[in-house]
Amino acid sequence: MATLLINGKSRTVDADPDTPLLWVIRERLQLTGTKFGCGMAQCGACTVHLDGQPVRSCQTTVAQAAGKKITTIEGLHPEGRHPVQLAWVAEQVPQCGYCQSGQIMSAAALLAKNPNPSDAQIVDAMSGNICRCATYPRIKRAIKRAAQQGG
Amino acid sequence: MTTRLTRRAFLATGTAASVGLTIRFPLFGAPDAAAAAAFDPSPMLTITPDGLVTVHITKAEMGQGVGTALAQIVAEELEADWKDVRIDYPTANEKYGLMLTGGSWSVNWTFDALSRAGAASRLALVDAAAASWNVPAAECVAERGVVRHLSSGRSLSYGEIVKRVPITKTFSEDDLKKIALKKPADYRVVGKWTPRLDIPDKVTGKAKFGIDTFLPNMVYAKVAYPPTREGATRTAVDDSAAKRVKGYVATVALPDLVAVVATSYEAAVKARDALKVTWDPGPNASVSTESIFAKFSQAKDDPALQSWHEVGDVKTAMGSAAKRHEATYMTDYVAHMQMEPMNCVASFKDGVFDVYTGSQFQTFAVGTLAAVLKTDAKNIRLHQHYLGGGFGRRLEPDIMVETALIAREVKRPVKLIRSREEDLRRDFYRSATLQVVRAALGADGKPVAWDNTLVASHPGRRWGPDFVDKKGLDQFALNGADHVYAIPNQIVRAIPVETGISVGYVRAVAPNYTFFAVETFMDELAKLAGVDPLQYRLSLLGDAPRLARVLKLAAERANWGAPLPPNTGRGLACVSAQEKKTPTWTASVVQARVDPASGNVQVEKITCAVDCGIVVNPDGARSQIEGSLLFGVSNALKERGTVANGALVQSNFHDYQVLRMNEVPEIEVHLVESTEYPTGLGEPGTTTVAPALSNAIFAATGARVRQVPLLPDRVLAALRAKA
Repeated sequence: MATLLINGKSRTVDADPDTPLLWVIRERLQLTGTKFGCGMAQCGACTVHLDGQPVRSCQTTVAQAAGKKITTIEGLHPEGRHPVQLAWVAEQVPQCGYCQSGQIMSAAALLAKNPNPSDAQIVDAMSGNICRCATYPRIKRAIKRAAQQGG
Repeated sequence: MTTRLTRRAFLATGTAASVGLTIRFPLFGAPDAAAAAAFDPSPMLTITPDGLVTVHITKAEMGQGVGTALAQIVAEELEADWKDVRIDYPTANEKYGLMLTGGSWSVNWTFDALSRAGAASRLALVDAAAASWNVPAAECVAERGVVRHLSSGRSLSYGEIVKRVPITKTFSEDDLKKIALKKPADYRVVGKWTPRLDIPDKVTGKAKFGIDTFLPNMVYAKVAYPPTREGATRTAVDDSAAKRVKGYVATVALPDLVAVVATSYEAAVKARDALKVTWDPGPNASVSTESIFAKFSQAKDDPALQSWHEVGDVKTAMGSAAKRHEATYMTDYVAHMQMEPMNCVASFKDGVFDVYTGSQFQTFAVGTLAAVLKTDAKNIRLHQHYLGGGFGRRLEPDIMVETALIAREVKRPVKLIRSREEDLRRDFYRSATLQVVRAALGADGKPVAWDNTLVASHPGRRWGPDFVDKKGLDQFALNGADHVYAIPNQIVRAIPVETGISVGYVRAVAPNYTFFAVETFMDELAKLAGVDPLQYRLSLLGDAPRLARVLKLAAERANWGAPLPPNTGRGLACVSAQEKKTPTWTASVVQARVDPASGNVQVEKITCAVDCGIVVNPDGARSQIEGSLLFGVSNALKERGTVANGALVQSNFHDYQVLRMNEVPEIEVHLVESTEYPTGLGEPGTTTVAPALSNAIFAATGARVRQVPLLPDRVLAALRAKA
């Protein structure tokens, strides 16, 4: 058994301490906005925040997450209207959409730390997130838009 | 609720004969009138008493924004108010006709039928309102979901009509054909900026993909896959250690499938890893990239080569020409690498299989499942979800078959998720190819003869006789080789080669490699003739004025001919993809810089001009073109599947690399305004990138790279060959 603090709620789950956080979030708690893409921290689809820092939940164990504040895409904003999410809609970023929760979590973490990132800083922060539809130009534009609007 | 409909079901034969199937696309049919609490004038749309218009999207949503575009087409002729339009993705059913999404076909195949379904529905609603007022229908108009009688000012909304007024007008197939559709100048929805309906749920995590399915009492399965892609057989299974894993539920050992089932994903992984399966790797155990290309090299001279496309007399023209040129092009295996690994949930209860996934080809999936499970197709309910990328991977029903077989054995709902490694090793790859192109030039430098020999594996041969022609050739392995250049004598010969590595359709399909050869070779011929590659192509595009136009447009916007820094060059390519009969005229200029020391190529800018006829959703169109170009950059620069011991060597994104944000060039897209019948946008851009980039490398360095991907060592080899 492990107790996790996810999106402001305490949740107790029956999982071994070495279970990847991803599978607990997705398959036990059914918070399915966080996605499985590679299982080896190569694609970023599973990105969540751990005490505000972006981490790959497929490579984070339940033991490592215990006692920390876990935020998933569902907890980013109560109505799904975080400036990054609004910018994503304004720029019509998603195509298939599967990687976009991870992209948005990476972008939100970047802007929380650096409210006005340069192009190079955006590329640096986002190059760990793969989008096979290659929505990258729009992701970049949306991050700039969110930055302008105080994301 | 007094709607009493006297509708007559009929099916209209569609226009998709190009897949070799008779496709019956339902147009204006009759669901159960007794259940008519709503107006269902066609299987494609429903109008409910609350005034909402739901367009039933039978195409897979995998990022193209297809649902929004198809709904726009219906709304335009229906004169619906866009704010009242909704979409859904129904469970597979025969009434929807062929359920297949691919080939950039969706808008092209359905634009006319959906326009007529919308228009006929509007006429029926106007007719009903007019009858209720006892006035001629001709005195009434429909606009933004309301029917008005012009002289009296009376009005009824669509919702009110459905709620209160009998709708009785019916249409024969001929009536439908005779409906006068709107002129593009009068469009209010089509061609207008319209945000995509699927996007809001894709930024909050609410969008449901197949992998997000949960059923009560569900268990998790993992399959033990064989060591080679094809041909291995199982000789023994020992599950004694698997049984000791906490959460173990069952072992499923069928003739072609070994799996374990457990209460969680992690437990299923542990139990599967504890299974001891002994395999006979079969006849492909030593198949490798080298052995495959050696086989291809032999096949290019095989007397069994078949003529696929032939114009004039190549042999005679070749013999009498002033100059000749020959080049060999090769491309490597490419994997889909869609972000959502293949997965499925299935349950089996009371003889019925419920299957939950995202499918690009429901018709094929239901047929395959019914055949494998030895049941009637009506016992298969395939529930559609968003696709976390398709790119052709989700045309294949393999994961559904596995999951349904396991669910039938364990009698509980089963969720099967492949790991990325399994997803990549069990993919159906874009075939490796070898193409030999020969041409003869006349005294004016223009080609008088063109001879292309194309060696590849043909996916359609695995799918069945409907997917190959009489000669056993799959046109989807060859399209594009029949280019539109005015060359009086041409032949394309092809031979399908089995390699032991399963092939399928990957975004942009054959035109990825056929246009790589055609458009790179065209540059080589221009060089031989001493003519600028742009002018050379234009001199041969007399039969394709729309292609000439986009080529000129792309070149002009890219400052074709303007000076560039050292080791930097521009290359161009123009294509009639995806199919010669329904082309989207596309031209790209790629600007790239080559590091002569390392062979590294940096794509700096792509300028792309596209004429796809009527553009239904302009921003969606741009999004598709941007994505298709970058998919092309990824294919052209990075993606190389290699084979050893009968299986793909690569296993995940670390060794099968795809494009990331740090490698994205500047992209400029120009859409030609047009009132021509619309064609597709999901793929043609992709096909321009590899040849335009190879041509840019040549322009920058004088080195010709004829092998995709254009890897640094290949660029270095070409630089050395030049020197």
